[in-house]
Amino acid sequence: MDLIMQFIINSLIAGATYTLVTLGFNLVYGATKFVNMFHGVLAAVGGYTVFFFTQTIGIDLWVSIIVGIIGAGLVGFLADRFIFSTLRIKKASNLVMFIASLGAFIVLQAVLAMVFTSQFQSIVHSVDSPRVYEIGSAAITHIQLLIIITALFSSFGLVLLLRFTMFGKAVKAISDDEEVAKIIGIDTNKIIGYVFFIGSAIAGIAGILIGFDTGIQPTMGLAILLEGATASIIGGIGNLYGGIAGSFLLGFVENFGIWKIPSEWKGAITFSVLIIFLIFRPQGIFKK
Amino acid sequence: MAYLIHLAILFVIYAILGISLNLVVGYTGLLSVTHAAFFGIGAYIVAILGMQFGLNFFVGLLLGVVVAGIISFLIGFVLSRLGGDYYVLGTVGFNYIVWSVLLNWQEVTRGPLGIPGISRPKLFGLDFTSNLAFLFLAVIILGAIYVFSQSIVTSSFGRVLKAIREDERAINVFGYNTLYYKLTIFMIAAAMAAIAGSLFASYITFISPATFMVMESVFILAIVILGGFANLKGSLLGALFLIFLPEALRFVGFTEDIAAQMRQAVYGLLLVVLMLYRPQGLLGEYKL
Repeated sequence: MDLIMQFIINSLIAGATYTLVTLGFNLVYGATKFVNMFHGVLAAVGGYTVFFFTQTIGIDLWVSIIVGIIGAGLVGFLADRFIFSTLRIKKASNLVMFIASLGAFIVLQAVLAMVFTSQFQSIVHSVDSPRVYEIGSAAITHIQLLIIITALFSSFGLVLLLRFTMFGKAVKAISDDEEVAKIIGIDTNKIIGYVFFIGSAIAGIAGILIGFDTGIQPTMGLAILLEGATASIIGGIGNLYGGIAGSFLLGFVENFGIWKIPSEWKGAITFSVLIIFLIFRPQGIFKK
Repeated sequence: MAYLIHLAILFVIYAILGISLNLVVGYTGLLSVTHAAFFGIGAYIVAILGMQFGLNFFVGLLLGVVVAGIISFLIGFVLSRLGGDYYVLGTVGFNYIVWSVLLNWQEVTRGPLGIPGISRPKLFGLDFTSNLAFLFLAVIILGAIYVFSQSIVTSSFGRVLKAIREDERAINVFGYNTLYYKLTIFMIAAAMAAIAGSLFASYITFISPATFMVMESVFILAIVILGGFANLKGSLLGALFLIFLPEALRFVGFTEDIAAQMRQAVYGLLLVVLMLYRPQGLLGEYKL
């Protein structure tokens, strides 16, 4: 029974982490219709920015976190300005966009490794053990609780933004049909730029929280992205709500899967779920 | 001179990988990111059979071809029904699963320790232990694969592949069973990758799962893209450039670690620049 409680908590933590990745991934996919690999490395950018400002320069933690979030957002925004917007003007196919994002991903990952070495590092400076809350005999650390709370607030905030602002309506129009949105006078390029900034900033948040929970490494982006993409496929790619549901579903499948199967097979479970969904329900659990 | 022979052998192995992947990506238009999985399957079969049962290299090579053929049939059957983004993500997922098996099926693969001491090929008194003799063997195999691939792409079978790439629905209407064509070329390419894998294992004499990760598939894809989609000579050029590039970087005076990251950064940048200005690759005849 206690074991089940811990499994549920672990599933929620994983689901919340994936949610933070899918929010931005789906937002960008909805507006641009391509699998943006670059999204993954933005998590690493967020994590390393905080690492750099707190440990190398020695700035206050909260200031560093805000710089990290804005930094990741800016890097995503710039990638759109210099690469993806140019490709959109050229009417490049979604696979060309995918390869370009993969290339940009590799470049930035290599740059991070050159600057910060390819070693696994910890953002947390202090050696004191993290605060742990007990629920029955199950446990959750302070930072893990923060991941769940942040995921809830980010989801809620993004939904409000998309539902109740002109910006949100413009994004919806672009997601439905970019050409028509342009014709009715929406500055699609500007809106997509904002979409990249917001989506990338959320990826930065994800990277920072993962960094505090487990640590950072230049190559962390690929796994984060693929897990996020899997959660997105489960919920229906480009569908924000579906992505959130898919994230928690994936979190539960993975964590209850390793109840019976040794935990090193977790990645294999994830991608088996991905392939099963691609075959039997490529449109995701919520048909759109 | 010995060093040049070493590079030449690596070039031949990656040229085989590039040519075979081009059959799938360039000629048939299926953006597969899983070639390293079949590369790994070929390598591990030669290594395991050689070490456990003292089996001859050439028998191992043939068995690797058969196993890669069977596995590619099964996964190809599943993936061939997908298109665009979904196909890409599905292949990435499969590569990850194969890597996970190599890493975690420790009784057979020795897991992260890898398999050392793989022997060089011997056949009827012919001994390919020296690097020069090995290069000779590798070049013969590359030549055979090149001629075979060339005959495929110029045959009527190859014309159907190109037609699938241009408009799969149309060629379906004409009564061609496109699944059969896509599956066949996928299996042929997988078998060729397994041959490259067996050469790699017996040349380096040590293999570990780290060589066969998703990023290796991306590297092979970069060879195809750089050289050009649907051009076999292009794949030779791509392999030549990407194998000799890190060596050039080393001669400029970068340390080994930085040079490795520089290689990544340069080929990532190449992907971005090509997608922006020459999406068909240097000698390519087809744009994604």
